[in-house]
Amino acid sequence: MRRISLGTALIFAGLLAFIVAAIGADVFASNDPLRQSLLLRLRPPGTATATAYFPLGTDDLGRDLLARILYGARASLMVAALSVSVSLLVGVTLGLMAGWFGGWVSIVAMRAVDTMLSIPAILLAVLTVAVLGPGFFNLVLVLGLTRWPRYTRVAYAQTLQVAALPYVRAAEMAGCGPGRILLRHVLPNIAGPLMVVATSEFGLMILFEASLSFLGLGIQPPYPSWGSIMSAGRQYVVRAWWLTAFPGACLFGVVLCVNLFGDWLRDRVDPRSQGR
Amino acid sequence: METILEITDLCVHFPGRGGAPVRAVDGVSLHIAPGETLGLVGESGCGKSTIANAAVGLLAPTSGRVVVAGTDIVGASPRLLREVRAQVQMVFQDPITSLNPRMTIGTAIGESLLVRGRAAGAALRARVGELLQEVGLRPDHADRYPHQFSGGQRQRVVIARALALRPALLVCDEAVSALDVSVRAQILNLLVALQARYGMAMLFVSHDLAVVRHVCDRVAVMYLGQLAEIAPRDALFASPRHPYTRALIAAVPDPDPAVQRARVSVPLVGEIPSPANPPPGCRFHTRCPVAVARCAVDVPALRSVGAAMVACHLA
Amino acid sequence: MIALSVRDLSLAIGRTNIVDAISFDVAPGEVLALVGESGCGKSVTAQAIMRLLPAAIRQTGGEITLGATSLSNLPARAMRDLRGRQIAMIFQEPQSALDPLATVGNQIAEALRQPLAKVRAEVRQMLVEVGISDPDRRIDQHPFELSGGMCQRVMIAIALIARPAVLIADEPTTALDVTIQAQILALLRRLAAERQTAVVLITHDMGVVADIADRVAVMYAGRVAETGPTAAVFATPAHPYTALLLASIPRLSDVPKSALAVIDGQVPQPADYGAGCRFAGRCPRADRRCVAETPALRPVADGRLVACFHPVGG
Ligand SMILES: Nc1ncnc2c1ncn2[C@@H]1O[C@H](COP(=O)(O)OP(=O)(O)OP(=O)(O)O)[C@@H](O)[C@H]1O
Ligand SMILES: Nc1ncnc2c1ncn2[C@@H]1O[C@H](COP(=O)(O)OP(=O)(O)OP(=O)(O)O)[C@@H](O)[C@H]1O
Ligand code: SF4
Ligand SMILES: [Mg+2]
Ligand SMILES: [Mg+2]
Repeated sequence: MRRISLGTALIFAGLLAFIVAAIGADVFASNDPLRQSLLLRLRPPGTATATAYFPLGTDDLGRDLLARILYGARASLMVAALSVSVSLLVGVTLGLMAGWFGGWVSIVAMRAVDTMLSIPAILLAVLTVAVLGPGFFNLVLVLGLTRWPRYTRVAYAQTLQVAALPYVRAAEMAGCGPGRILLRHVLPNIAGPLMVVATSEFGLMILFEASLSFLGLGIQPPYPSWGSIMSAGRQYVVRAWWLTAFPGACLFGVVLCVNLFGDWLRDRVDPRSQGR
Repeated sequence: METILEITDLCVHFPGRGGAPVRAVDGVSLHIAPGETLGLVGESGCGKSTIANAAVGLLAPTSGRVVVAGTDIVGASPRLLREVRAQVQMVFQDPITSLNPRMTIGTAIGESLLVRGRAAGAALRARVGELLQEVGLRPDHADRYPHQFSGGQRQRVVIARALALRPALLVCDEAVSALDVSVRAQILNLLVALQARYGMAMLFVSHDLAVVRHVCDRVAVMYLGQLAEIAPRDALFASPRHPYTRALIAAVPDPDPAVQRARVSVPLVGEIPSPANPPPGCRFHTRCPVAVARCAVDVPALRSVGAAMVACHLA
Repeated sequence: MIALSVRDLSLAIGRTNIVDAISFDVAPGEVLALVGESGCGKSVTAQAIMRLLPAAIRQTGGEITLGATSLSNLPARAMRDLRGRQIAMIFQEPQSALDPLATVGNQIAEALRQPLAKVRAEVRQMLVEVGISDPDRRIDQHPFELSGGMCQRVMIAIALIARPAVLIADEPTTALDVTIQAQILALLRRLAAERQTAVVLITHDMGVVADIADRVAVMYAGRVAETGPTAAVFATPAHPYTALLLASIPRLSDVPKSALAVIDGQVPQPADYGAGCRFAGRCPRADRRCVAETPALRPVADGRLVACFHPVGG
């Protein structure tokens, strides 16, 4: 129906490349991302030996940087996808209930939202990881359980709007309980705006994962993450630029694509925000 | 006397801006007998939709009683309300927002039967097909979404949904107002035919007097949250007793230039007062062409005059 | 004499034709009703006459003449000068058409392009003429302090104070209650007669047409189906659409609960306008020719024009 512009096609291509790289990391990486070789430390991109080829060079422990970036993409994707799912579930449930039941439910929920939003997210994450200890699952849990307020806000406002519509009145008249009304009548009709929020949160989650891993609070060595690769490469910025440049560029490119995709999605979901 | 809907002294006040509550409905009593159609007319904001919503329990009144099929639904538990609603269903004004855009119309029509455990699976599908045929659509339309239908067809779907439980009372709030003029007659004919076939009672809310006259047995005329007059249709249109009813009938332009231009009608003067600050005495006295001094002071009670009940000192 | 003449006006969105070669004339002091269902192109026709079409809509043909001036090739500046002075317009939603921040008096004076202080007496007189009680207080009030009916009176005052030759009223009473509608229609009729203003009244209500129009143009799906003196069109409608439409409207005089005449099907959308008569799909008199050829407007009895191969009674 509508023709997709070149820019949009590029965004899709970028996202697709990221997802394919993350899922197929084992296929695309010719070397084991964990295998160290002290003889091959800090080799520049394009290095080839008798047995292996390192298109993006090696790190300070002689590991293949390409393989580490691919596996790092997988870590980013998994952390972001899982934590967005957790916060989506928590936030939307709370927002739907606050919007439908109103009264004290909405007061409590919205106060909680305000409180959460007034604490700097990264600080909250750092504190919780400090208490729970670092690691993949704790990272997902922390991000998931601290990033729900935006969904709650959007879900709450949208639920209020949709709940006032005649088809929801009709569902009440039909005899549907709150569960069915919220799941069958309200949720499908507020999913668009929620997906927009989820996309922008997805980009943020990738950044958070990288930041926390950079600080040593996320994915733990020896497992690769873009953040920890850059963190390790920091000391060698001058001697081995590729250690920070490649993961940095990947992070930048992916987050940019996710955000642009979010804008595109928002225009599709809400024609009013289309600037034309 | 047996009634399907009995509203007694209904008051609905909404919190208004800056103190004074909006007295949307202020002491209205009316009843509907089984199989009877009561029309509710009046100008915008006089409280018609408020009464309709209170009659089906979608809105909690400030005070008064609403008895549907023998059950008082004011303050009823959600469970009791759900049971009563098997008896009373509603058709809304806007056919676009009355249907969930993400639900097939078959699911929407069958929903009440499904959630009440009356039918499921193949039996439900068959029943939905029958309902679609009853309103002039095809059973294979069941899998379509609302946006694939025109306004008139959507209103048919809404009517089919309301009929699914075979309600004893159907509340129609401006059911044809949003439709194209050339489609309106289709829906009016359908409502009249279905009502005759199933003997449902109807509360038919509309601001269009000609439409109300066409489908109703009795007519209630509202002004600023109160009843001005309630009378059998023919009595009301042949000899309106309340000055407001007379003005309202006179203001409806007849779609026949010969008739319309022969009428000598003096338009009402003045504006409709705000329901947050209704005039004292008779609420209509500020615009009434025959008002006397007493009208500004004494509230006229609704009393029997001939076949009608009228709230006017001079009736 | 003719105050406004529209000849073969055609409008399109992209390649979709939404108004197709419509023509009508209005004489001074005459009220012409443009009647038709939602989406048939009434408002865009009005906007085309005012040269206020939204960017998406293009005029693809036709000629609009105001008095002796052709509007089609008029420079934008000259058109701006004409608007308000020679030709004015009022809208369906009076409250949103008025500037919420300016007082009633200032908005009316604005139409004269004079400061209120200078023309206050004239503005006050206009408020009296449109039937606003207590004009001395109302003149300094803001639109939110007025009811819908009063706002519509203010709109009429703004439109008429410069004594334009032509007034276009786009559904001026649709948002109002019947008792208020009766007041506004009476006012329009009186002012048209007193000031010899030519009025194009857009509506979808046949009752309103019967009440105040001298002549009527019935539109269907972007074309004029039938046009002529109101009395004749209502007494013996020649186009099947007009006839069925009139028969399908419940009246205060018909038999309650009797079956109303029904027009099967639904109003077509512009994207589905095909060849042939656009009413053919719903018309009981349609034959193969109606589906293939477009009927032109041609004269029938009583000074009427009808676009139908098989007019009723002809
Ligand atoms: N939820 C609400 N909160 C506050 N005021 C309300 C609410 N609903 C209705 N009102 C007010 O109550 C009065 C009656 O409203 P209602 O919708 O019953 O009128 P109506 O007769 O149905 O009018 P219409 O013909 O415009 O539909 C109006 O003044 C309206 O502004
Ligand atoms: N700004 C616009 N952009 C795109 N399409 C438009 C625009 N304005 C009108 N249209 C389309 O042009 C057609 C004619 O519209 P128009 O507003 O003239 O109808 P109308 O006869 O005034 O109907 P109504 O009675 O609903 O006001 C419709 O199909 C409408 O969807
Ligand atoms: S009581 Fe008086 S004011 Fe009220 S309607 Fe009757 S005559 Fe008019
Ligand atoms: Mg209403
Ligand atoms: Mg319009």
